[in-house]
Amino acid sequence: MEAYLLNLGVLVSIYAILAVTLNFIMGYAGIFSLAHAVFFGVGAYVGAQMAMHVSASLFVTIPAAMVVAALLSLALALPALRVRGEYFVAASLGLQMLAITVFSEWKGATGGIGGLVGIPAVRMFGEDIYRPAAFFPLAAAVAVLVLIVTRLLVHSSFGRSLTAIRDSESAAESFGKNIALIKTISVVVSAALAAVAGVLYANYLSFINVESFTLNTSVLVMAMVIIGGTGTALGPVVGAALLLILPGLLSYLWFLPQTEIGAIQQIIYGLGMAVLMIFRPGGLVGRSAGARKRRKRDALKAAAGQSEARKMEGAK
Amino acid sequence: MLWLQLTLTGLQTGALYALTAVGFSLIFGATRVFHFAHGAAFVLAAYVFYWADTAGLGMIPGIVLAALAAMAFGVAMDRLVYAPIQRHEGSFFTVFVASFGIGIVVENVVGMVFGRSFVTIDSTLSQSRELMEGVYVAPLAWIAIACAAVFFAALQLFLRRTHTGMALRALADSPELIRVFGLDPRRLSSIAFALGSALVVPGAVMTALGSGLNPALGHHVMLISLAATIVGGIGSIGGALVAGFVLGLAENLALIAFPSQWSEAVTFAILFLVIILRPAGLFGRATAH
Repeated sequence: MEAYLLNLGVLVSIYAILAVTLNFIMGYAGIFSLAHAVFFGVGAYVGAQMAMHVSASLFVTIPAAMVVAALLSLALALPALRVRGEYFVAASLGLQMLAITVFSEWKGATGGIGGLVGIPAVRMFGEDIYRPAAFFPLAAAVAVLVLIVTRLLVHSSFGRSLTAIRDSESAAESFGKNIALIKTISVVVSAALAAVAGVLYANYLSFINVESFTLNTSVLVMAMVIIGGTGTALGPVVGAALLLILPGLLSYLWFLPQTEIGAIQQIIYGLGMAVLMIFRPGGLVGRSAGARKRRKRDALKAAAGQSEARKMEGAK
Repeated sequence: MLWLQLTLTGLQTGALYALTAVGFSLIFGATRVFHFAHGAAFVLAAYVFYWADTAGLGMIPGIVLAALAAMAFGVAMDRLVYAPIQRHEGSFFTVFVASFGIGIVVENVVGMVFGRSFVTIDSTLSQSRELMEGVYVAPLAWIAIACAAVFFAALQLFLRRTHTGMALRALADSPELIRVFGLDPRRLSSIAFALGSALVVPGAVMTALGSGLNPALGHHVMLISLAATIVGGIGSIGGALVAGFVLGLAENLALIAFPSQWSEAVTFAILFLVIILRPAGLFGRATAH
């Protein structure tokens, strides 16, 4: 039981990093990417190759993975600068599908469908860290670090520029914001931090293949963000924990056919996504639809009041 | 003769993609709903047809039932999922996520009922015949191409010559004006969903007879329809048709240069390049913003 919980803790930490970094571009920059698993995968493959051939120290594997993912994320930044909304979702989908083919066909780097086996464990302070009891504190610490970094960014002037662009690109531009630069940086940061999750994942499991980095993973991470609450601080973490605990809970329900657990789990989160969007689009942690509407109405009223006041002044 | 063979199979694949994409494009163009569960309508129609066949109901009742199922699904999505969301917010992403969620539900429910392995319906229509030396074509290919032509022509006639059709085209431009003319936007939206969803039926039936079905097919169908709609230009139904054929041909002709595992990558490379270089699509007028 303890081993099970520790293992779950490691997975929640890793997926929380993914959800938090996806939320960074989704919730604050308005960039809805369906290609987040690509950077998770790139991080895992680069981390694995570095650990196998250079050094298993996290101070080598993590920077290497971050640099490669950051460079590749420019492929995602390119459409993000050109288009918005449905077009960007489609472009990111295209990127995700291309990446799956590359992951499963580029045998030299990724080991093809078979994947990479025998990835060495993390070495820290002269010891191999592979048991869940030792790995969990490490993974949790990294997740907290990532959460803090993204929080600091969101609350900096950079974060305010980001939300300004999300809400109105032309208004932000008229305030002299360099939209292209800000958007590109946000995508690069998100991808580089997602790669950290990949490194941990590869070291922890010591085996990776393309199955872990498909569109399903991208959708799962997106579901974590949405169910938890897009654009909230802790929503993505709550979402990650919830969706990873679900399969374990379902296996306790004796009346469910055990062979269909995977399908039932997917049905539950599919329904969860649809029902939440209808009744509570802000997610579990986010504001309810009613609160949003009230806030919007108040903002509109305030804006209307201002323009009224200005008109009066003009009349004088 | 390889290229001729691949062109013919490309046209067959393209015809199925084209009609499904036209359905998606019709819905998206008229209602602005990013109906990601369109692929789920395809899977539902295909499995209802398959079920009718195994129950011994025969081909025509099977097709009718498949069409009813697809249309009912489309209208239900519009009424029960999209309408409530649009009432309070209606941001594109909220709608997309709900649609995606339902797509996942349908895929898994179908998987639980019918199993996840491939199923096909045996038919003489899918047996290839030698057209000329080294070139094989199944009768299904001609039926597919003819279906695409007939259904598309009928749809164009409907959109241009009937009052409802014209109102549907107007709905995309201005729902307010529709109300001024005393028409009901909600009813028109349901019509768009019923028609668009019905257009998956030829593709679904022929896939069941030809290359076979599995529950995960909806994903692939959806991605192709989406790609065709964007490559063709959002709002252009003719563009979606042409792009459907282009993608079908590209997927097959790519086999000359690349191994078959890369054929899907070719489709998405085209999509990615079009979005970056020409976001309005090949036939679109509007800009992407």
